[in-house]
Amino acid sequence: MAELGSVAEPILACRGVRYRYLDRFVALDGVDLAVHRGEKLALLGANGCGKSTLLKILDGLLFPDEGTFTAYGEPITEDSLEDEQLNAGFRSRVGFVFQNSDAQVFSPTVREELSFGPLQLGLSRDDVTRRVDDVLALLQIADLADRAPFQLSGGQKKRVAIGTVLAMNPEVLLFDEPTAALDPRTSEWLTGLIEDLAATGKTIVLATHDLDSLARLADRCVVFSEEHRIVASGTPAEVLAQRDLLLQVNLIHQHTPLPTA
Amino acid sequence: MTATPDWLLARDAALCPCGCIGKRRKGSYVQKTLTGGADLLRQVMFSDDTSSAAGLLQRVEPRAKLIGLLGLVVAGAFLRTIPALLVLYAATLALAAASRLSIGFFVKRVWLFVPIFTGIVLIPATLSVVTGGDVVLTLWHWHGHPEGFTSQGLTSAGLVVCRVAASISLVVLLALTTPWTRLLASLRALGVPRMFILVIGMAYRYLFLLLGSVTDMYAARAARTVGAERHDRGARRFVAASAGALLGRTMAMSEEVHQAMTSRGYRGDARTLAQPRPVVRDLGFVAAAFLFGAALLVGERVLGG
Repeated sequence: MAELGSVAEPILACRGVRYRYLDRFVALDGVDLAVHRGEKLALLGANGCGKSTLLKILDGLLFPDEGTFTAYGEPITEDSLEDEQLNAGFRSRVGFVFQNSDAQVFSPTVREELSFGPLQLGLSRDDVTRRVDDVLALLQIADLADRAPFQLSGGQKKRVAIGTVLAMNPEVLLFDEPTAALDPRTSEWLTGLIEDLAATGKTIVLATHDLDSLARLADRCVVFSEEHRIVASGTPAEVLAQRDLLLQVNLIHQHTPLPTA
Repeated sequence: MTATPDWLLARDAALCPCGCIGKRRKGSYVQKTLTGGADLLRQVMFSDDTSSAAGLLQRVEPRAKLIGLLGLVVAGAFLRTIPALLVLYAATLALAAASRLSIGFFVKRVWLFVPIFTGIVLIPATLSVVTGGDVVLTLWHWHGHPEGFTSQGLTSAGLVVCRVAASISLVVLLALTTPWTRLLASLRALGVPRMFILVIGMAYRYLFLLLGSVTDMYAARAARTVGAERHDRGARRFVAASAGALLGRTMAMSEEVHQAMTSRGYRGDARTLAQPRPVVRDLGFVAAAFLFGAALLVGERVLGG
């Protein structure tokens, strides 16, 4: 994988990306997006507008039908990810926290789950063990280390899912609806964690339609229309000030009071 | 706003206006299956409790425990007398007690399986028509000869029952004192391929998720079912439709799980954490198990002449 580009260059870039499921259902319709190092970017939009699909493209799990996606200046395609070095470089730099923690927590125990990513990237078993212990302590889940996923609550599974990605120490963290279906305390903890991660220089890209925590979760937002296109971008304050736009893209209802940015 | 239809505003009485109470019926096989599934879940949870107790076998490393107890199962297969097998069985009871298992629960769990594995085969073998010998309990006469249970048949049956009971006790000991996941991982010590263990581990993990989905689907249906459940074509169609829906969910889930694995660098060759090295205590357990098995075999030959 190429060395890191200049500071002004986006680390992840989509140009004219179109994606359809089963060749019929449009998920993204000509999306241009640039993600810069160290920023907190929120993808805002109603259900089904294509946010999750875009995150999966940014993680090299889906590939555009049309348009291009580049990471650190390298085109990311199904073919290019066959290259072992590029694959390892890309996977170690970009981590994805799925919305459905059950999909992400697939190993028999929490400890094995946390060790899965670093082991696949070729870290020594001693390093992996150390990292896993550190992540368990950081996320305050040391007592869950030998538990099976079916014994965990939704909030605990979310912590483990985040731990699986943190253990790989990626530069870019992609979150799909991070605070959805979490109780207030866990939601607040997660918002704080994302702020802390961003403060350490990590790049955060998250999909959400939760406007209440937007000012803390993002310093830039892009807004998707229900026609699967990006229709606006700006700081949380700028976006939240456009009530008509938010109404039009189904992010708020006419009776919804807007949070103050 | 969309107008609410009139029927949704009507307040129908759910129960019969006369206040009668309907017939009660027994649950369907679907309900029984689901109850069984939920019981399984509870049992697995319980077995995790016993495997984390501070007992003798819980302290032994799973691979050493697997090899040691497997050695005793093999020794049991070669024992030829009931007293020797009873000694082995007594040893399993002692191990259960030392591992802080409830003896009543342990014995019940073992003797629940024994009739299933031995009953059908053994009953005919105790009769003189199958195993000839001295009839000790006459059941009928055939051409003037007494026919019934023979002492040779009963001895053979006793031998098999003791052997099965001792073997199952050893396996139950292993299962109750080792978390399933670590037991699975310890199969590597016996040369089982890593990928096989990974797949079994994931199948086990998602079994519980699917069990939860099935329970939810059934509960959702039961919540909307008025009157007694019927066991007709409609019920069969529900089972088939649920199976189809579950298959669809499984496919979607498997795709997402694969994406989650790919996202973390998986490229077809899974690497897993190494298990801790066995310590002297673990090797001591294996040696003690093998010595005990050998002593039983030799003692039986010597004392049996």
